[in-house]
Amino acid sequence: MSRSMISAPERGNLRHVFGIAVVLFTLGGCGPEQVVVKGKFPPPLMEPLPLNIGLWYGDDFAHHEFFDEAKSRTDSSWVVKTGEAQVQMWDTLLAGMFDNVVQMKGKPGPGQMNQAVDAVLIPHVDELQYAIPTHTNIKVYEIWMRYRFELVTSSGDPIAQWTMSAYGKTPTAFLQSDQAAVNLAAVMALRDAGANFATTFTRVPALQSWLQQRWRPAEEVIP
Amino acid sequence: MMRGPVRTLLLVCSIALTSACVTSTVDEMVFNEPLEGIGDSSVVILGRRHASDYETEPDFIECVGDHIASHDQSIRVINELEFVNALYPWFEPRTAPLRPEDIERLLRQKPVAQKMAELKTEYMIWVDGATVRGDSAGSMTCAIGPGGGGCFGFGTWSDDANYEAAIWDFTDRIEVGRVNTSATGQSYMPAVVIPIPIIAPVQGAACDGLGNQLLEFLSSEY
Repeated sequence: MSRSMISAPERGNLRHVFGIAVVLFTLGGCGPEQVVVKGKFPPPLMEPLPLNIGLWYGDDFAHHEFFDEAKSRTDSSWVVKTGEAQVQMWDTLLAGMFDNVVQMKGKPGPGQMNQAVDAVLIPHVDELQYAIPTHTNIKVYEIWMRYRFELVTSSGDPIAQWTMSAYGKTPTAFLQSDQAAVNLAAVMALRDAGANFATTFTRVPALQSWLQQRWRPAEEVIP
Repeated sequence: MMRGPVRTLLLVCSIALTSACVTSTVDEMVFNEPLEGIGDSSVVILGRRHASDYETEPDFIECVGDHIASHDQSIRVINELEFVNALYPWFEPRTAPLRPEDIERLLRQKPVAQKMAELKTEYMIWVDGATVRGDSAGSMTCAIGPGGGGCFGFGTWSDDANYEAAIWDFTDRIEVGRVNTSATGQSYMPAVVIPIPIIAPVQGAACDGLGNQLLEFLSSEY
């Protein structure tokens, strides 16, 4: 019998190890739920707009993270880090949307030496909200983001500013953790942000006069 | 010799096994079926993701695609994610065409038209629906301690699946068929130390029902 192979002191040790594992497992559940958003983002399938665009990501954008503190003992705190995925998605999208995209050496401003471009785009994430099934009783995980875009000259003079929302959701799935589902919802929200930006850029009211100065759009890009 | 509790457990399991079955219904409405299959063209199956309170599950779409491709290997089914990525951003929930006429406007863009021609997409099938959990009953208690752990109790729940597939003819830009499938089933989970889930394959039955109907439409062999 295999049971007789383990002596009494060894069994005591095993119980200690098991007990410690249970305590560690329980304590492990006390920290915030953390999601570092990771995903793959395809390039857009469209005719590039004839613009030479500079790109500047502020620290708040490139390292964007969202923290939500637990409101009750039964809730968990959440940290959702989207910065890396934001940069990855916007780099891919904008490179396919415009003829030329240049990463700026420094934040556009008076006296800042930068590359010559038509305009510099500075994206910001103003707000991020999330919902998980335990909050809503609906079996979907949701992420909602509000972006603010600044379009400025190389020397930092404002051209236009506008906001845009993005939404992503994913259904519950068997054996899928909350973290994996929130990650997937965030990836969907980022894809939605890209789709919204790409299909509405030429129709943003604040950009109309600037776009007309640059070129006259031959046709709307929206299907 | 078989002890009383073991015999009872086996009895409960065998009753549950015979009861965890699924009822499935399929409705079909076809306007213009291809008489000789779809030839060397391809078909893409896409999930609708517009509703706020549910989402057509990506694994259900994959299941229907696999069902069709495995039963008629001459039909090329394009993977949903592959298609949506190749045509990004035109098939995202925000931008996806809602009516067959919208394809016309989509194809006005040269890169999109070229990609569609490359993929040889003849039919686009939009699947809308979800599998939802209905009533549940029973209770189960689980405990864990230094000496081990276990569960005791009994749980049961029902699942309802309802999906509708709209078939668009990509060449003529019209809807040529509509298939609806619904399935319902009761699942059980008795637990005596170890929980034994006896799951009713509701989504699987809906997938088979929808897949078979689409096969009848697309395949020359069915």
